[in-house]
Amino acid sequence: MKYFLRKIGFFLLTLWAVVTLNFLIPRLQPGDPAELMVQKLAGKNAQLNLAQVRAMRAMLGTPHGSLWSQYWEYMGHLAHGDFGISYTYFPYKVTDVIGQGLWWTLVLVACTQILSFVIGVMLGAYAAWRRNSRFDSIVTLGSTFVGTLQPFWIALLLLYVFAYSLGWFPTSGGYSQSTPGWNLGFVYDAVSHAFLPAVALMIVTPIGWILGMRNTMIMNLGEDYIRLAKAKGLPDRTVALRYAARNALLPSVTGFALALGGLLGGAILVETAFDYPGLGRLMGEAVANKDYPLLQTLMLLTTTGVLIANLIADLLYGVLDPRARRAER
Amino acid sequence: MLLRKILVTGAAASLLLLPGCAGSAKDAASGGGGGGKSGMIPVLNLPAEVDASVGSLVNYNPYSAKPATQTWLYEPLMMQNSLDCKVTQWLATDYKWEGSDKLIFTIRKGVKFADGSELTARDVAFTFNLTKRYPAMDLAGVWNDTFGAHATSVTAQGDKVTFQFSGAAVPKFQGIISQKILPEKKYASVGDPTKYIDKNPNGTGPFKVGSFNGRRLELVRRADYWQASKVKVSKLVLEGQPDATQALLQLRSGKLDFYSGEIPNPRKAFVSSNPKLNHVWYAPNGITALAPNLKKAPFNDVKFREAMAYAINKQDATLKATYNMMHVASQSGLVMPNRESMLPEPYTAENTTLPLDLAKAGKLLDAAGYKKGADGFRTNKDGSPLTIKFSVQAGWIDYEAMADSITASFRKLGLNVKEVKSPPDTVDLAKKTGQFDMMINFVGSGCDYANGLGATLETAQIPTKSEVRGNVERFSDPAVDQAVKSLQATTGPAAVKKQVGVLAKTMMTQYPVMPILYAPARGIYRTDKAVGWPTEKDPYANPQDAILLIMTNLTPAK
Repeated sequence: MKYFLRKIGFFLLTLWAVVTLNFLIPRLQPGDPAELMVQKLAGKNAQLNLAQVRAMRAMLGTPHGSLWSQYWEYMGHLAHGDFGISYTYFPYKVTDVIGQGLWWTLVLVACTQILSFVIGVMLGAYAAWRRNSRFDSIVTLGSTFVGTLQPFWIALLLLYVFAYSLGWFPTSGGYSQSTPGWNLGFVYDAVSHAFLPAVALMIVTPIGWILGMRNTMIMNLGEDYIRLAKAKGLPDRTVALRYAARNALLPSVTGFALALGGLLGGAILVETAFDYPGLGRLMGEAVANKDYPLLQTLMLLTTTGVLIANLIADLLYGVLDPRARRAER
Repeated sequence: MLLRKILVTGAAASLLLLPGCAGSAKDAASGGGGGGKSGMIPVLNLPAEVDASVGSLVNYNPYSAKPATQTWLYEPLMMQNSLDCKVTQWLATDYKWEGSDKLIFTIRKGVKFADGSELTARDVAFTFNLTKRYPAMDLAGVWNDTFGAHATSVTAQGDKVTFQFSGAAVPKFQGIISQKILPEKKYASVGDPTKYIDKNPNGTGPFKVGSFNGRRLELVRRADYWQASKVKVSKLVLEGQPDATQALLQLRSGKLDFYSGEIPNPRKAFVSSNPKLNHVWYAPNGITALAPNLKKAPFNDVKFREAMAYAINKQDATLKATYNMMHVASQSGLVMPNRESMLPEPYTAENTTLPLDLAKAGKLLDAAGYKKGADGFRTNKDGSPLTIKFSVQAGWIDYEAMADSITASFRKLGLNVKEVKSPPDTVDLAKKTGQFDMMINFVGSGCDYANGLGATLETAQIPTKSEVRGNVERFSDPAVDQAVKSLQATTGPAAVKKQVGVLAKTMMTQYPVMPILYAPARGIYRTDKAVGWPTEKDPYANPQDAILLIMTNLTPAK
């Protein structure tokens, strides 16, 4: 019990730190949201209209008072689940804005991550089973090479070749002609828009799983129980899948839980490159517009996501592996 | 969005490297094209007006922070062409200043809102009185003292709307005529209008909402629009905010008909691919100038500033920053030749445009005591080393090009200039704190000189800790302040010219800022569907901010 209480205590402490940093970091950057917005509407080659800036300040109710009083106000609002009104989408609530973007990111990123995980783990297991074969060297070397590329760079490349030059896919957005809803036209529209961003994410993400799975699997293959299984004359398939792969999978599953929390970060650049209407692009927009309420909520969402995934993994470890609990005593 | 800009600049660079491939772009052309059969243009494609759109979160309220469209649904009282200062009547047919503190508009008869009800002077007075109750929608600053005295009342009587101000308020005209007029019937009961989500707009504009799917806004022509005979476009499609690369491809393929964003070297990238249909016109919209910090030595020395003015290679800067799309600027602070008639004797458009003359600049510096030291760099008068930090807005490609040109030229003169590139936000912060040596800044050149050049020179317009204002260089001169004050109270052309003369002469003798080139208002357009866009020969509208006026001039292509 003490183990669980301690873990939860740590979780709460980190959560507080995250919430506080989340409040501080956006306020450390220079720039005034009202001035920025007026200037943006007018363009770079226009004098900042003071009357408009003052009106915009009055509208957004941009932070006033000392940092300390702002902080208490912020904590109070958070406690009531009030995340404020987005500056960019004024007067819509931050929660409404995020609610609109969430689906796009969830579908895009969750699909690619689960697919990446399955593909990565399978390739890794097979490479380990047939280690030192030609397949193994191609997969391992290829992954180390492709792993050094940045997803957004791949995104630009894909955008250039398949969207601009060949014109097979749309260049930006999540959909264009159709009306969102459960109809064939929209699904087709959305899928054709999601294809390139998904591929951009899919090329790099499985690599971690491939290499991780291959390494743990090779370690497992050296264990006595594998030799025993082989000596018993079990078929190769059974040894590989039910004995080695199954055991090697455990660390990867924990890793997967962790990765899900941090997905948003990786998707920002890719979503931005494709102008894809998900949370990543929203975050980019929030930064560009100094939309503090939106930015804070998005950051809070991501960081608490990671924290909760961590907590669950920690707690699960305690349940799954009694040694973790005992070591704490 | 900056991030997207950086990413796509990369893509743009790769496009330039592979010119063969760039030509093979095959974006499926959409939209009707052709037209002319029925004397109408079936559809015109424009970029979206807001950079952010997500899902079904739409708002047509013109007083929200980012309405889905600013232009097509609600209309202003009048429009002033910032190039030749001509005023076009719109919802108001006439205006008159009585003294400099009373402004009277006559409201047009027969204008109908989309729901069929008639626009009256009461709606106009209602809109402005609403801005009194809710300062957040007072975009014209009618009820506060930004540029002229605040109003005390706005009243409607018959077809007249009267603004009574507490003092001289001439510079407020531009803002007042641009405010979008709301229907009293709809907006009287919505509470704080800026917080109201308007999903069923009811404006007087030429279009109404056809459909919006979260990304693509389709607007349909109103047959009962008050000047419907002038609007030849049946449907407007506003979709996406393309960056330079995307816009170029969409313009070339006909997916986009008009764009006023930045495209590097548009003559070569766009016009040359089809000179018959592809056109570009960059109008002079204001002045981009070098602004030194006059609170600091050596910039507080007018001789030093004069030398700087002669040491800028404007020709080179214009070529590198705008591919010669724009012209070099006059030191007078007025856009030439449009405003040549405003110059006092003996100035002309020609003699106010200072040439590059490094020899003269060198002599001026020598005479003023800024001698060259052993390392080849000039020193302060007391012999201490002189280094100049040049704050440059990173990512603004044209500003960076100008800065590079100026730095190179100043170094030739023996000035130790170092560029410090930082995000535009950081440069704006330096404008407020005054912690900079010199930077590139924009000087307004509207029809209202108190708001334009006046704002760059007036003491009251020196930025504060919390507000960026026009007088970034921190110039101060009682004679100039007096002239700006007079401009705020003057409507007579001769009197205006006299006061503008004071400002122009200050620019020519005090060198508070050094104009480099005229900043562009861009119009990049196709003529396969519609003709009648403003051009250099027919500059009836500023291509950047008067698309509503342009709409009433478009006719189908033959």
